[in-house]
Amino acid sequence: MTPRIRTVMRDTRPAPNDSMNPSVTPPSTSDSDLQLVERTNAGDQRAFELLVIKYQRRIERLIARMVRDTDQVQDIAQETFIRAYRALHQFRGEAQFYTWLYRIAVNTAKKALLDMKRNPVVSESALRSQSDEDETSHLGQELTTDETPETVLAAQEIAQAVNAAMQALPEELRQAVTLREIEGLSYEEISAAMGCPIGTVRSRIFRAREAISARVKPMLENQTGKRW
Amino acid sequence: MNEDLNQTQREQLSALADGELAADDIAQALAFADSDEGRQTWQLYQLVGDVLRSPELAHHAQHDVLSGVRAQIAKEPRPQLQTVPLVPIAAARGPDRAANSSVFRWKMAAGMASVAAVAALGWSSLLTDGAAFSAGVQLVQGGAPQQSVPTEVVAMQAGDGAPVMLRDPRLDELLAAHRQYSSVAALQMPANFLRNANFSQASARR
Repeated sequence: MTPRIRTVMRDTRPAPNDSMNPSVTPPSTSDSDLQLVERTNAGDQRAFELLVIKYQRRIERLIARMVRDTDQVQDIAQETFIRAYRALHQFRGEAQFYTWLYRIAVNTAKKALLDMKRNPVVSESALRSQSDEDETSHLGQELTTDETPETVLAAQEIAQAVNAAMQALPEELRQAVTLREIEGLSYEEISAAMGCPIGTVRSRIFRAREAISARVKPMLENQTGKRW
Repeated sequence: MNEDLNQTQREQLSALADGELAADDIAQALAFADSDEGRQTWQLYQLVGDVLRSPELAHHAQHDVLSGVRAQIAKEPRPQLQTVPLVPIAAARGPDRAANSSVFRWKMAAGMASVAAVAALGWSSLLTDGAAFSAGVQLVQGGAPQQSVPTEVVAMQAGDGAPVMLRDPRLDELLAAHRQYSSVAALQMPANFLRNANFSQASARR
């Protein structure tokens, strides 16, 4: 018998095109980062690498919207994470980790823009994006400079695969992963909502992630050309 | 057996992604995440979560930021929080010393200084007051001229319930002697054109 969710949860899903805004990050995300932050501050560099992997895509996208030179995006993203690592001992957990990281990224990108104005060595990609903007300005408004129709199509395929995998999940797995990933509830809150032990919640979320990952993995292998 | 271990490690990574992993298991999960399989699993879990929250993030990371960050961090001094040996607080502080002993000593010194200052001020004021008092007494006893007129104060009561007017006979004598130098008003005598009002009339009307 499929368990029913007892309470109606708030909708914390971010609005479209707002995924970089730190205010729309699910509420309990900060808790999940705190373990890794504490571990990093205790001297375990591997924990910080997990934070880099987790936020790399969001930070890159944020920077790509500020800086139109695609060659600069990787450098600024890298500088952002290095600055965050150096200042991590100052992070007190009063705000979400991503909010803190977001500010560092914005400041780093602004500084890079100022440096580029002072030292106007224009890279090829910046020139390319500039000419693209002149000729097809409508495209420039919709895509960031590192996006191509191919990457957009690939992203759409991944999104469709994830949605298809979600639909194919058993009801209890879908509910558990939805409450965690979209609503941002803790295991304890999900346990209370679904009326099952916390261990079961943990197992259901894991199984759901595994099932979705299995659908996405071959797609990533095709796109990146490497084994996943 | 290996499959079970792998399953357990992946489940630990899933719990770590949610911040729900027990502290004892974090080291094991991080060790797994350091392997290729563990890192890819972590990337996939994060990608799935991001896509569920926002389809806009449904793309694979396009740059190898991690390698650059890792190389740069390797040059940085590592946090030394765990390498510092933890000393028991009681041993570091000493056997018989209170945590606020230095503050207490300062408080004692300040208190003693306050008491000494008050005592000095009190003693000096006592000496000054005593000398002034004795000088005053001597002045009254020795310097005051002896008057031939009686010095008793005369009290006159105007009537029932009327206030008592006190007059010093010496003042009357002085005023009489210097009548030519002052005006009538100065002698506290009403002018002729002014109506004289006194308490006795007020009481008589009653």
